[in-house]
Amino acid sequence: MSRSFLRDRLMPLLGMLVALVFTPASYSADGSRAQEQAQRQQTQPGNNAPMWRDVREGVNQTTQVRGVETNVLMQPSGQSWREVRPPISLAGGLLIAAALLALFAFYQWRGPIGVHEAGTGKLIKRFSDAERLTHWTVAISVCILAVTGLIISFGKYMLLPIIGYTLFSWLAALAKNLHNFVAPVFFFMLPVMIVLFVRDNLPGPGDLKWLLTFGGLFSKSGHETPSGRFNMGEKVLFWFMVCALGVVLCVSGTVMLFPNFDQGRQIMQAANIVHVVGAMVMIFLASFHIYLGTVGARGAYEGMRTGYVDETWAKEHHQLWYDQVKAGKARQHFADDAPDAVRAQVANGLKA
Amino acid sequence: MARMKFLCDAERCIECNGCVTACKQEHEIPWGVNRRRVVTLNDGVPGEKSISVACMHCSDAPCMAVCPVDCFYKTSEGIVLHDKDLCIGCGYCFYACPFGAPQFPQDGAFGLRGKMDKCTFCAGGPETDHSEAEYKKYGRNRLAEGKLPACAEMCSTKALLGGDADVISDIYRNRVMKRGKGSEVWGWGTAYGKPDAKPATPPGAKS
Ligand code: HEM
Ligand code: SF4
Ligand code: SF4
Repeated sequence: MSRSFLRDRLMPLLGMLVALVFTPASYSADGSRAQEQAQRQQTQPGNNAPMWRDVREGVNQTTQVRGVETNVLMQPSGQSWREVRPPISLAGGLLIAAALLALFAFYQWRGPIGVHEAGTGKLIKRFSDAERLTHWTVAISVCILAVTGLIISFGKYMLLPIIGYTLFSWLAALAKNLHNFVAPVFFFMLPVMIVLFVRDNLPGPGDLKWLLTFGGLFSKSGHETPSGRFNMGEKVLFWFMVCALGVVLCVSGTVMLFPNFDQGRQIMQAANIVHVVGAMVMIFLASFHIYLGTVGARGAYEGMRTGYVDETWAKEHHQLWYDQVKAGKARQHFADDAPDAVRAQVANGLKA
Repeated sequence: MARMKFLCDAERCIECNGCVTACKQEHEIPWGVNRRRVVTLNDGVPGEKSISVACMHCSDAPCMAVCPVDCFYKTSEGIVLHDKDLCIGCGYCFYACPFGAPQFPQDGAFGLRGKMDKCTFCAGGPETDHSEAEYKKYGRNRLAEGKLPACAEMCSTKALLGGDADVISDIYRNRVMKRGKGSEVWGWGTAYGKPDAKPATPPGAKS
């Protein structure tokens, strides 16, 4: 890392975040600086250095024009924001691209993770209707937020040269409005999701072993390391992606979404940087989750789609949970009353 | 070609807000939007100074750099203009601008931002000069009429200068030499410290 990178990019960013945490949104005119200026006028008329220093630091002054920070003559942090944002979003974009490439390569190498024995046709009701409704509402809103957000971040470089100004502006306006109106859906469903799923994502037996063996990805037998209802990978995703990043994105997004709270520009710049970092990491993590939930693992998509999984699937992917279901100790039960259409769908999902 | 710039002389500005009024009047600016404002430094303390500020038409313009739809363009005279038909009202130019120039009329609920509006150096927008559409969106195009910005022309003390950079800096230099003080050309380091971005034709289909 070169020194100029540190000086020009990293320091302004850190400065901005530190300023956000440790100072109120705006500075007030410092009486002592004004006094210094008045005294300077006595001894050196025409020397306004103390005043210009205030101007450079973006100190609050006086104006007759109403509005957000109209009394600040010049804001210094805009320049830092301008310089810091592009390399950060570029890094995020590359991270996401790397994830997609890695997943594509993995799919070519291993193909979908299947089950080793045929399905028995005996189904377990793995997800309640409330869980599925919540999952899909959050999933669809995150997909919309991610795509529309990425259009705002990278469309100028990747789409505009191809589709032209007029069409891209129309698309970007659509993206912005979709982003702004889907965000509240995410905002209100997030707590519901956390409450519904937190119980089975608490640490449990087998978690550490699952983590140390990478879930059995590289095991000779090709069998997954036994886990509870959710494995350690899903738990990490729950705590880090859903709980931590979800809240970070909601808070930072809301700061940008409502300019009518009269928040200053520094807060919105910092919120934007936090939002970009959070969004890129979330999209990065979500791509692994989406991969495993669709083409990556047989039977997983049907599980969330219908709510039912085959006994064999449960045994191979979540053995500890399966044992509990069998012993009648889990909240989920065998479902002999599953409709035929669902049975067909679940059986189909397991087929190679 | 001349490079157009604004220069405000802090030793002369008396905070009469004539420039603010002139601008609003000339362009029939919508409610809640002020393209120009006067800021008084150390108000009430002996030696207070006032400065009139609007878009400075920066050389390496931050607004231009951050706009996600790339709707800004620079005229051959260095004036930074934008295309309201392309603007999506994201507010990024307002985050980046050092001078607080971009303004947003409120559009609908929750303080949602409408299309950005800012000082055009009285040079209109991408529409045909003097057209109805140009006037509605950007205000009068005085430059095309051979006039300078209304604010600077109206300034009662001639504190606010707007026009060819060489000409206005000569005027200012003469003033500084005569009075022997107030040599700071406020804002020029920030606005014009870097070489000019390349002039470009207006984006969009109709140019
Ligand atoms: C999974 C959730 C989300 C993802 C993946 C996401 C992604 C993004 C991305 C990539 C950007 C572009 C940032 C840039 O280039 O500067 C963005 C902008 C933005 N996001 Fe989000 N976001 C999410 C949730 C939210 C939420 C919950 C809110 C509000 C409550 C929100 C509000 C905003 C706003 C206001 C912007 C500024 C751009 C605009 O005006 O459209 N986002 N988001
Ligand atoms: S003063 Fe602000 S709006 Fe005007 S060119 Fe500079 S950055 Fe853009
Ligand atoms: S508000 Fe409009 S002009 Fe400003 S950065 Fe966003 S799209 Fe560009």
